[in-house]
Order: sequence, then structure tokens, then C-alpha cells
Amino acid sequence: MTAHQMKLGAFLWATGHHIAAWRHPQAHVTAGVDIDHYIQLARTAEAAKFDMIFCEDAAGAREANVNIASQTSRSIGFEPISLLAALAVQTSHIGLVSTASTSYNEPYGLARAFASLDHLSGGRAGWNLVTSASHIEAANFGATGLRPHADRYERAREFAAVVTALWHGKPDGASGLGHDGRSFSVRDALELPRSPQGAPVMVQAGASDVGRDLAARTADVVFTAAQTFEEAKAFYDDLKGRLAAYGREPDDIKIMPGVAPVVAETESEAREKYEELQELIPDDVGVALLSSYLSISDLWRYPIDGPLPELPASEGMQSRQALVIEQSRRDNLSIRQLARHFAGARGHWRMVGTPAQMADELEARFEGGAADGFNVMPSYFPGELDTFAALVVPELQRRGLFRKDYEGRTLREHLGLKRPV
Amino acid sequence: MMRSSNDRGNGTTMKLAVSLPPVEAPSDVQASADPDFALLARFVQKAEAAGLDMVLLADSAPAAGSDTSKRHVPFEATTLLAALATVTSRIGLVAAASTLAHQPYNLARRFASLDIISHGRAGWNATMVADPREAANFSRPEGFSPDDFRRRAEEFIGIVQGLWKGWDADALLFDQHGGRFFDPEKMHLLDHKGEFFSVRGPLNVARSPQDTPVLVMSGLSEPDMDIVARTADVILLDEPSVAGANDLKRRAIAFGRSPGAIKVLMNVAPDAEMAARPDVIADRLEESFRSKSCDGFNILMPPLESVLDDFVDLVLPELRRRGLVRSDYRNATLRSHLGLVEEEGQ
Repeated sequence: MTAHQMKLGAFLWATGHHIAAWRHPQAHVTAGVDIDHYIQLARTAEAAKFDMIFCEDAAGAREANVNIASQTSRSIGFEPISLLAALAVQTSHIGLVSTASTSYNEPYGLARAFASLDHLSGGRAGWNLVTSASHIEAANFGATGLRPHADRYERAREFAAVVTALWHGKPDGASGLGHDGRSFSVRDALELPRSPQGAPVMVQAGASDVGRDLAARTADVVFTAAQTFEEAKAFYDDLKGRLAAYGREPDDIKIMPGVAPVVAETESEAREKYEELQELIPDDVGVALLSSYLSISDLWRYPIDGPLPELPASEGMQSRQALVIEQSRRDNLSIRQLARHFAGARGHWRMVGTPAQMADELEARFEGGAADGFNVMPSYFPGELDTFAALVVPELQRRGLFRKDYEGRTLREHLGLKRPV
Repeated sequence: MMRSSNDRGNGTTMKLAVSLPPVEAPSDVQASADPDFALLARFVQKAEAAGLDMVLLADSAPAAGSDTSKRHVPFEATTLLAALATVTSRIGLVAAASTLAHQPYNLARRFASLDIISHGRAGWNATMVADPREAANFSRPEGFSPDDFRRRAEEFIGIVQGLWKGWDADALLFDQHGGRFFDPEKMHLLDHKGEFFSVRGPLNVARSPQDTPVLVMSGLSEPDMDIVARTADVILLDEPSVAGANDLKRRAIAFGRSPGAIKVLMNVAPDAEMAARPDVIADRLEESFRSKSCDGFNILMPPLESVLDDFVDLVLPELRRRGLVRSDYRNATLRSHLGLVEEEGQ
């Protein structure tokens, strides 16, 4: 019997998750054009026995204002499906998960690409379904504006159902898939053999009510952002509680909140490291990033040392907007303070401390039933992934909270997920 | 400029590609994934060791007229290209991808990314055949008329090439101290609004190491030739003719391109003949090449090492002996293999 142990993802993003990471002297500034850098990161994560690496994605620029964009490293990078395919043959065990949007793809093409990735990796692929909430992305796909939230999710539900059907293969005796739905029509079954792990792992991150329902229906893994234990626990209980309605067991979904660690041998070193990064954030970059999480464009009009103004509801990332507003009210933060706070970890749980402190906190959330594992978001690469692997992972292993070696070969086996029938 | 006495007089040698159609895997290969990839990797490594310009990876969803109960090479072409890029270092890698199966923004990103992964060895093979079966899997059960498909494909290709040029080659500054990652003056929005697509840009992948990935076009008919002359780097034809090649060069000039900007490769399937009469195959290739009806050849072959062995071990040495094929890669990118950049080192 496998011990009750936490799952760990290594969330790769450009030069690092901290918005100013690229300016840090130990960050690899050319990460976005250096495949060898990514191969090295994947191998580091694999040597530390992480369950998976995870790549975010957006089908467009991250920032509409070119002056702001030019002060960050996030305007260029690898397209993740091609990146993961390259990493698949340069690694042997680690799971390979990438985001792809249901709003700007067709299910047949996406199902094929991930099935191919699963074959190339011997059963280690996963797809993080997102519906895309950015006007900048929409403008690359003929749309004059974002589709309303509910429409995006209706399309996503149909998309997920078609992809799953394609991965599972055609029913006996059927001549093809024969799907003719509201958003998509697909005639044939996939012309690929069945995926080595039955079907690639399905990941989701939407935290709104419809997002949670879609996850409860279709996801194997859920990524989420939660600052406090209480938030994490509430989300965990809510999502696991929705599974029964779809005939699923609580263990059928692994919930993995993001954690943005800044870790060092001593607490003062860790604080120093964090402050060094915070000092590198230009104010206009911080405010622009905050604006995008709030889905508004004119935050710069308000005094930067004043409070966040009242905001209308948006069609963007609703759960993220609520989280930012809640934080600003709770801690009485100015726009500048809030911007810096979110620029560092984008609303995720920021932890600054020693390996033992970090292990204590992770253990408390894991044993307290607020998480099945964590998606680790290093501040800058490769240094902070190396540090987490060298300092925190051994501490978790000593406590019996994390594996010392892979038990299986496929991502489903790492995660303790059933093989689909 | 140095000229070999045996080439056809303008300093060029024939371009050689091998093509991997999505045929059934040989029966002696197990159904599991690894052996299939290992087999393909060995095949491409062998082609690289022989100094061939590029490997073409076919793709279709599904293959026209195929029986889906048969098992094919279990990889989609762009993901296969990425994987092969990491186990090779010189040979060009070209993946087919249909304009029906992708959005132009997504496809431009995929290939730009593949070009960086391969250090400038990626190409996109855009087929001009509107496959109704493919359309039926991409929410277009009604398909396209040939004329609509052609206008749509032309617009699609223009967007992709435009996105590829959205970042100037020296746009990235990496200025950590000054806080400028890129120069805003060197990033250009596409702002395309056309009949079928509207795409703002910019691409969120950096400029290609070889300027832009190589555009290979195939499945061409007469009305496609203006699109080809305007956009293509390489075209694949089943029956090129001197007249056809000359006509294409004339059209290219009319669009402000140099006559050498497009390489014409002729599809050939020598197969079983090779082992028996390599000199006859070499004669045939030499004759077509010297008549200037093509710039080289695309050898269609199954993913069997024995067939590639015959070509590499028997036909290729004969072509080299005649001075028709260069002896080794001179530069790193696919564009340079194909002579599509200003001649380097001369």
C-alpha cells in the first residue's frame, strides 16, 4: 500500500514566478529562448522526484501596454506543447503538463497533440484546461471581445467531453466519433493507438462556481490559489463535496494549491532574498499586473498610495478579482502595497523562511485536509528550483511526507489516479 | 565564388529531403511508444549522418481515405518534430500541419517555438489540398469550396509569416540593470483584419534563429502558383518541368523576390529499384537536376531503415562522386542548407 504522501508539481514560468525575477543576477535571463535551460529544469525536478512539471500558457501577449511589457520577461517564451514534446524524450519519469485553451483550439487537434505527447513520453502527459479570460488573447482569434464567462464554460464542457471521448477511443462497432454539438462537430475517432496511461491527465484551475463544477465532472488534478489555511480548506472541502454528484470518489481528484517559496538556510537570509526581489519591481509594472488581475484598465488614475477603488464585476477571472479585493480590504493595503504583494506571487501563497518552517507549513495544510499536494512556484530559475529541491524536498522526505523514488512510470501512477476504463 | 566543375554551373548542388509518410509501423515493431520513437530517431539520425538537407514529417487528421482501424505512426507531426530536434543537431525538420486544423496564431507560435528548440532547423509544410475529411473533424462539416480554401490559405500563410516577423532580430535586450527586457521600438503588432481572420499580435515567441521557419508548400495546383511565388521557400511537385520552373521563377521576380528564393523539389519514390540499380537512379536524378526542372528531390520512403540504407549507402555516394551533392553541412540552419540565405563563408 502506498503511503499517504503529498504530490508536488514544479511550475515553470519564464525566468521565474516573481515579476522582477529576470532582473535578479542569478536568474537565467535568456530562459525564453534556451531549450537547454528547460531540459535542465526538468531534470532537476525529476531528480527530486517531483510528480510533474507544469507549464502555463496564454495565446497572446501578457500585457497590452508595450512599455510595461518591455520591462518584464513574459512577452516571449516557448509554446508549451512543443516544449513538453522536447522535454519528453530528455526525461524518463516526470509528468509533463501544459495549459491549453478551450476557447482558441479545436478538440480534435488538441486531443491528438496531447495523445502524441503521451506516446512520446511513455504515459506522462497532462492537459490543463483553461477557458482564457484575456482580451489580448481574444484579439488574436478574430474576436472583438471576450465571450461571456458562462459561454466560455459551456464551450469548455463540450470541448472536454469530446477530448475525453477521443482519448478513450471509439466504442466497439462505431465507425467514428460522430459528435455534432453546439460548438464543435467531429466525425472520426483519433488515428492514434490508445494513450499509454489510458488517457492523459486532465488538470483544471478555474475556481469560480461553474469552474468548480466542470472540475468536479472532468478533472484529475486541480490547481488553485489560496493564501490562508482556511481558504485552502474551504476550497478543498467544497470541491471534494461536489464529486459525488458525478459518481466520483474524493480520491479521484488531487487538489494542489500553488505555493511560492523563498527559502534559505536561515530566516533572515530568506527575508533578504525576498526583499531583494521586491526592490526590483518598477511601480508601473506592479500596477499594470494588478490591473490585469482586476480586469480593469485605468487603475493608474488612482493615487498609488491610496486604497483600491470600488470595482464593477468583470467577465475576466472572477475568482482572482475577488481574492485581490478581499486581500486589500482585510489588510488595508494601498495600491502600491497590493501591487507589490501580488507581483511577487500572483495571488498565490507566498512563504518566506527556512526549510523546516516550509515543511511545517506544507505539512499542516496537507495533514489538515486542505491540500493533496502543492504546485511549487520558484521565484526565479534555475536557482530557486535548485534550492527547493536541495533543501525542502529532503526535509519532506525525512518526515515521510514525500516519496524517495518514483513508484511507477506514468503520471497517473505518480498521482495515484485510476487508469480510465 | 568557387565553382565545382561537376555541378550544373551556378555553384549549387542538389537539395535532398526524405519524407516519412504516416504509414503503418512495420509489423516487427511493438505497439508500445518507445520503440516507435527510437526507430524514427535512428532513421532521422541516419539521414543526418548522410548530410541530407531535411526530413519531412507527414501529418493528417486522419489520413485521407485511410482505415482508422489500422495503427499508424502514433505521433502528431509537430510534437514529433520537437522530440526529434533534441536528438539531432544539423538536419532540417519539416512538419506538415493543415490550415484547416489550426488557428494561424497558434500555428505560428508552434513553429516559431520549434525553430528555437531546433536552433533554426524547423519548417512548416502547408498543403494546399482541402481535405473534406479533415474539415469534418474540425467543426467544418460543410468544408470549403476550392476557391474559398485557397483565399483562406493565402490569408492564413500571410498571417503566420507576418507574425514570425513581428520581432526584429535584435529586439531582445536582456538589460537587467536598466530594466529593459526588449526594445519596444523593435516589436511590431500585426493588426491583421482580413476576410477570414483577424489577428492583433504580437507573437509571444521570439524571432526565429533562421529569420523565419522555412515554408514548404505541397499539393499544389495551377491557381496556387501565385501564392507559392509570393510566400514559399520550398515547393514539392510530383512532375516539375523546365517550363513550370521557369514560370515560377518569373512570378517570384514579379513579387520582388530573387529567382533563387524558391527551391523546387521533385517527389520521387525509388524504393526497391535502389538496391538493384543505384547508377540508374543516380542517372535519373542527375538528368532532372541538370535540365533545371528542379533544385533537388524529396525521396518518399517508408520509415524503414533498410530503404534509407539503400539510398544512403548506394545512391548517395554515386551522386557525391558526380559532384552533385555537397559533402557535409556547411552551416547550422535549414535555410542555409537549402541555400535560402545570402551565401555564407564565400
